[in-house]
Amino acid sequence: MTLALHDVGYRYAGADEPALLGIDLELRAGTVVGLAGASESGKTTLCLVASGLAPRTIGGRIRGRITLDGEEVDAWPMHRLGQRIGIGFQNPATQLSQVAATVFEEVAFGPMNLAVEREAVVARTWSALDALRIADLAERDPRQLSGGQQQLVAMAGLLAMRPTYLVLDEPTAQLDPAGTRLVADAIVRLAGDGTGILVAEQKTDLLVTADEVLVLAGGRVALRGAPDEVLADRRLPELGVARPAAVRLRRAAAAAGGGGERLEAALHD
Amino acid sequence: MLLRWLAALAAFIVVILIGMVTIGDFGTGIDADNFFDTEGANSFALIGAIALVVAFLVYAAVEYAQTGGLASIASQFDTRTIVLIPIAVAINIILGATVANALKLPIYLDSIGTILVGVLAGPVAGALTGFLSNMLWTYVIPPPFQNGPAAAFSIVAVVIGVLAGLAGRAGWLRPRPNRSMAQLGVGAILTVAVIGGMAWLAYLGWTSPAFGGEVNFDVAGSDAIFTVLGWLVMILVAGTVLGLLAILFIRRDLAAAYVVVAGLGTGIIAALISAPISANVFSGVTGGGTDFLVAALRQAGADIGAATLGQGLISDPIDKITTFFVVYLILAAMARRTKARFPQGEHLLEGGPGDESAEEGEWRGASA
Amino acid sequence: MAGRERLTDASPGIRGVPDFLGRPGPTTIHRLNPLTKATLATVTAVAAVALGGLVGPILLVTAAVIVPALVARVLGRLLRLSLLLALPIAISAFVVNLFFFPGGEQVLLRIGPISATAEGLAFAVEILVRILAISGAVTLFYLTTRPSDLVVDLERRGISPRIAFVTNASVQTVPAMVERAVQITAAQRARGLDTEGSIWRRLRGIVPIVGPVILGSIAEVEERTMALEARGFTRPGRRTLIWAPADTGLEAVARWGLVLALVALIVSRVAGIWR
Repeated sequence: MTLALHDVGYRYAGADEPALLGIDLELRAGTVVGLAGASESGKTTLCLVASGLAPRTIGGRIRGRITLDGEEVDAWPMHRLGQRIGIGFQNPATQLSQVAATVFEEVAFGPMNLAVEREAVVARTWSALDALRIADLAERDPRQLSGGQQQLVAMAGLLAMRPTYLVLDEPTAQLDPAGTRLVADAIVRLAGDGTGILVAEQKTDLLVTADEVLVLAGGRVALRGAPDEVLADRRLPELGVARPAAVRLRRAAAAAGGGGERLEAALHD
Repeated sequence: MLLRWLAALAAFIVVILIGMVTIGDFGTGIDADNFFDTEGANSFALIGAIALVVAFLVYAAVEYAQTGGLASIASQFDTRTIVLIPIAVAINIILGATVANALKLPIYLDSIGTILVGVLAGPVAGALTGFLSNMLWTYVIPPPFQNGPAAAFSIVAVVIGVLAGLAGRAGWLRPRPNRSMAQLGVGAILTVAVIGGMAWLAYLGWTSPAFGGEVNFDVAGSDAIFTVLGWLVMILVAGTVLGLLAILFIRRDLAAAYVVVAGLGTGIIAALISAPISANVFSGVTGGGTDFLVAALRQAGADIGAATLGQGLISDPIDKITTFFVVYLILAAMARRTKARFPQGEHLLEGGPGDESAEEGEWRGASA
Repeated sequence: MAGRERLTDASPGIRGVPDFLGRPGPTTIHRLNPLTKATLATVTAVAAVALGGLVGPILLVTAAVIVPALVARVLGRLLRLSLLLALPIAISAFVVNLFFFPGGEQVLLRIGPISATAEGLAFAVEILVRILAISGAVTLFYLTTRPSDLVVDLERRGISPRIAFVTNASVQTVPAMVERAVQITAAQRARGLDTEGSIWRRLRGIVPIVGPVILGSIAEVEERTMALEARGFTRPGRRTLIWAPADTGLEAVARWGLVLALVALIVSRVAGIWR
């Protein structure tokens, strides 16, 4: 089960220069692929293209091939694609449907739109709430929740669509540390349950546990590989990416002269 | 296709005929007991509006019967429009309530959202926005924003939405900058001529026997207050128009002239439709700042119908010109990309519809 | 799909429709189908205008507003809210008709150039009663019905899910935008914005608030569009409803009865048969 992008490029409507070029990406179910890069490097654009919103909802031009388990999805309408690939955004408040008085109805919004049978709608909603451990919030008004909780509700709303893949564009950008923790843990759990997750983040600390990390610059892939290698790469600063704290500490310890392994062990306690 | 339009036209004519036979009247007296017989309510425009709604329903019914769907209407309701409408409704209600309750000016400012949606998405979307705004405003919105009389004027809001949609589709709100002085001069002359013509007609109507004939600006006796009020409003009208003309020449944007004409036309039609509703149901008052005007006109000797219509013909054009102008400003502040994705967006872009063909070599647009 | 049905197979670990959805109201009136209540409010309001005079509207208000309000135990709130709603227009209507009634001859009071007449008083009272009737009918609906319930009911009966969405979202957006305006006002005031004072100053003060509120909301349109489309919003046709308000045959008959009575009233007034 793979979502694959082959030599994909994208140009926004009315733009002369492409925002993405030559992107090759493979997202397998049950894995996490991290996306890093400076702002305007194309992270958000790549998320929109991978989920199908570009060009369907926002217009623009695309080149290359996008396949889902080998099948080309160019002709799939958004509501069909949304059942396989979910996409979440930075701002939790704008993802609320605004027609739900309770979290339960908010999460049920997707399956209801798909005209799934009533029992199935209810079952999917509960299982999505359970997957993110927010079943106790079911009766609450979504607008009264904290940012982190709202982001989880938004993710539950996506999960209720039963997608195999999730694309998350800086989900913790507007959250405090507690909220960030909630979302980060949820991502790890979801991947463990079999969802393929593509997550873009400025906070590279969160990408340390990914299976693969891509660094974008100027709309192209600049670095690619396991997080250990990519996030310790010398070129990160010039690409506008912050090094994760763990990497910085390791380098600092090495520069101060040895003791690196003991520091690592101490950090992971 | 043709059948739909013919059926709608037939329905339109039938409703007009029925309306004229039962209600339409140019008389001027009031009859408190027999509300439908109330004369001086000049109900032709209202009948026209009702006929329009019926014709639309007939059109939709025929299209549904023919094709099992409502494609020409549904195309105006893509997701983006659906997202915009609640925002537009909220803008209508909040601004309208603020003006009516707090500012007490002789304007309404409750149609900015309606006209914005109409221009961006089309006549039906605009009509829905207007209808929803007024209905929700009365039935659902809590105090302090609630407005009792609003629901009764839903049909006025519907027509405003339709007119805005047509103006948008005709490209009237497209920016036309950097025109030569000659073109701007012609635009200014035409605008002043149109306004002057409308004002002349209004004046004629106002002083004609149909309105009781006695109304003029020199009210005898010590009614100085109301004369002053009247002049104040005149100055407001003149000021707005002159301001827009100034912008026309300072920014060299010919669209200002179109904005004025669109606002004026919409305002007059809105006044004609709302006057009979206001006169018959609420005896001409609605609780806002416009009531001072009505009082002034009645003191000057006009009956309910004439006073309401007179007030409408003063307030509505100013209100709608201002509203169209605000909408134009909002459109100017929106990114080109954002506007382009709306159903009528391409008519609002400078230079007209776009530069995007569906395919360019290996770059392809959305196919779904 | 009447009421809320629970899953018949309540095995452990399987939950049904949560009970906080569609919780029935406290009184019979609250539990009436929302369309019935909407019909009642609309028919009452239109009839108040169509009846004319004093006796008709007063009887109408008693039967269609006061009595149901008593049953629903909201009479106190109803009186307070409907008076509040009617107040601005009631004052205007009363003053304008009392003092500026053309053709009034029996003068009661003279203040400078304007005079109150007995004919004006009679007409003013009539308009007042009519306005109070309308405001009472509307307030009764508002107090006993959740708007989202009415929308769900209409959607079950067949209106497009998109129209339902737009209506629900509009209701929620108004308070949301007000809150945003309040926040922006506070922020602007901290930067020295003057919000008291003369009309001119207040007008000028509105612009730095209205601008960001409107433009900020419009800027969100793109994001919200994407979020909705990602959740299947583009799918044409009906969608599943988890629950819907109950309706009975009796209420359906009552609704039709009300509408037909209103039509009969209007026709008889127009044809001049009655009064």
